[in-house]
Amino acid sequence: MATTSELDRVAMVVLRFMRRPFFAIVGVYAVGIVGMALIPGIDEYGNTRHMSLFHAFYFFTYTATTTGFGEIPSAFTDEQRLWAIVCLYMGVIAWLYAVGSIIRLLQNPHFILALNEHRFARIVKRISDPFVILCGFGDTGSLLARGLSDQGTRAVIIDGDPERIKALALRDYSMRMPGLCADASVPKHLLDAGIKSPHCKSLVILFKDEDINFKIAIIAKFFNPSIQIICRSTSKRHQSHLNALDNVTVINPFEIFAQLLNMSITAPKLHNLNSWLVHAPDVRLGRPLEVPEGHWILCGYGRMGKWLNKYFAEQGISATIVDPHIKDPPQHSQIIKEHADHQTLKQAGIETAAGVLAGTNHDADNLGILMCVNALNPSAFTIVRQNDHENQLAFDAAHADLTLQSSLTTARRILKFLISPMVQPLIEKLQKGDPKQTDELVERLQNAVGDHIPQLWRVNLCPQETTAAAEFLAKQQSLTLGDIIRDPHNLSGSISCVPLIVNRNEDPSILPRDDESLRLGDEILFCGTAQAKRMLSASLNNTYTLDYLMSGTDPPRGYFFRWLATRTEPFSTP
Amino acid sequence: MNLERVIFGFFVILALTLNVIFVMGDIDNIDHHNVWILTLAILVSLCTTGLKLGDRSQIGALLLAASLVADLLLIAARIVWVVAENESAAGPAPETIAMIVSIAAGAVIANIISCIIVIGDTLMSRR
Repeated sequence: MATTSELDRVAMVVLRFMRRPFFAIVGVYAVGIVGMALIPGIDEYGNTRHMSLFHAFYFFTYTATTTGFGEIPSAFTDEQRLWAIVCLYMGVIAWLYAVGSIIRLLQNPHFILALNEHRFARIVKRISDPFVILCGFGDTGSLLARGLSDQGTRAVIIDGDPERIKALALRDYSMRMPGLCADASVPKHLLDAGIKSPHCKSLVILFKDEDINFKIAIIAKFFNPSIQIICRSTSKRHQSHLNALDNVTVINPFEIFAQLLNMSITAPKLHNLNSWLVHAPDVRLGRPLEVPEGHWILCGYGRMGKWLNKYFAEQGISATIVDPHIKDPPQHSQIIKEHADHQTLKQAGIETAAGVLAGTNHDADNLGILMCVNALNPSAFTIVRQNDHENQLAFDAAHADLTLQSSLTTARRILKFLISPMVQPLIEKLQKGDPKQTDELVERLQNAVGDHIPQLWRVNLCPQETTAAAEFLAKQQSLTLGDIIRDPHNLSGSISCVPLIVNRNEDPSILPRDDESLRLGDEILFCGTAQAKRMLSASLNNTYTLDYLMSGTDPPRGYFFRWLATRTEPFSTP
Repeated sequence: MNLERVIFGFFVILALTLNVIFVMGDIDNIDHHNVWILTLAILVSLCTTGLKLGDRSQIGALLLAASLVADLLLIAARIVWVVAENESAAGPAPETIAMIVSIAAGAVIANIISCIIVIGDTLMSRR
């Protein structure tokens, strides 16, 4: 068992450290006490008296600990005083030695590590609500933890860097997030983090090292085959390995970043919707970025640039690439193999370009490019890549049309996946489909949610979550989507939410119509206000409200009124 | 307006008011407490319980529970009265009256809870 071995280790380290000081103290006490008991003393009447062993122990205890109550029970003889001096020095030195050993033990890194691990495992064991294990607490990890905290989900964090774990203790999360400074690829630490716990929902692996990520994913699958794993991976070899595993999602930050960039350029309305759904700051629904059409200049052609160029080629957007280290240049593109500066940007046609992407992996270079663009063509649309989360303020001051930060986009994608996994397929489907669909959805959402903060939530039509609706469906009565979102205060309107997806037998139907009839076991994803969420839950759990929504009249409650209703019905119907 | 709500509200409020009428007055003075009012309060309370039977909502369950508490306490008070009446010709002693009235006061609390729930439920469904 992992936790007991941890405890054993702590106990063992303590014992090993304290063995010698313990023997030293016992030895010194024995010599001192025996000596004190053997040396004859004189009582107040002048009789020779030996100190009893108990008294000798009492005397030695207060002498060795430098308390010094005096000569008890009667004044000592000179011989006794001589021995008392010996006792005092011996005892004090032994105690100092023991105390020093304890302090050394407390400072011993192995001991601290073992103690931390033990404490961490104990805290994780006590967690009784669903939690996520987060391996890697860098920029992405900490943004993800912040997002989870806002959503009220607990994360258990493992990172190898002690500084980051120390920083974790200073964050003001809405709940306690236990952190362990350890190598997450050691199976014992994964067990400590609760990989086998029934409350552990998913494992997010965000380390930079591909091999370590892969190893953690494999180990986790052995420990808990049903766990959902989200793993960062950028290499093809590992991705194909990981994709073959059940319930594993591979997150490639460069691909996500390029997808988002591409979406912001080719489908600004959808990008606006997506940003709004993930609560990006300063985003208002229905106010998409106005991205001009025309020629683009891509500064930086790394892994992300490759993805973007691929998407651009698909969309038929022409681009000039400026990168000094370009290795395998794509065909049909103009390429300038130089650093992006005043000269090369001019050469790339900055004066007539519609947009510029400052996408190198150096923040200083990107900010420099922005400055050049502002001087040469202030009307050009600028998209800038922010690499380091710490440079946020500088990028805020630069006022680019769009600032994209890889760690943030990755964290948001993972968060979306953890909290409402059905949203991403919706966005992808909208991107492939007719742009009119997006317009319609945006209009519906604008009408329903307005300026409120959008909430995404999932409703499962099962007896545990929606008692009334499940009862209704079990009786083979028909229930449509329009019925359940009807407003109980105003039957001709509906509550402020829009059903996005109905998932039936793993076959999601996107943007269902209001007359879509529901079946037991359906999963529905809603987007709406927090109030709508509460009202929907009330409607779905109260038979009478649901009846009212369906029929428009209050059904009689109680046996008496129901009997009365059957009596009066023949008279009331003409 | 809904006839069902009218009848239901009438009984719930009547149960409370009758109960309060019985309890009002000095706690140990037999002249201030009428046994007929107590009996009537029990009857109305039982009727209210009957109306609440069969409601399957959460609120219905709570209402029924409150009503059952009121019934239980009022009936207990009436039983104490019957036993005390038989013991002496002059009617229940002041201590016994005090006990009966305090039991009935407990029923008042249960009835108040019922009323609050009914009012709250009506206000919540602003239709």
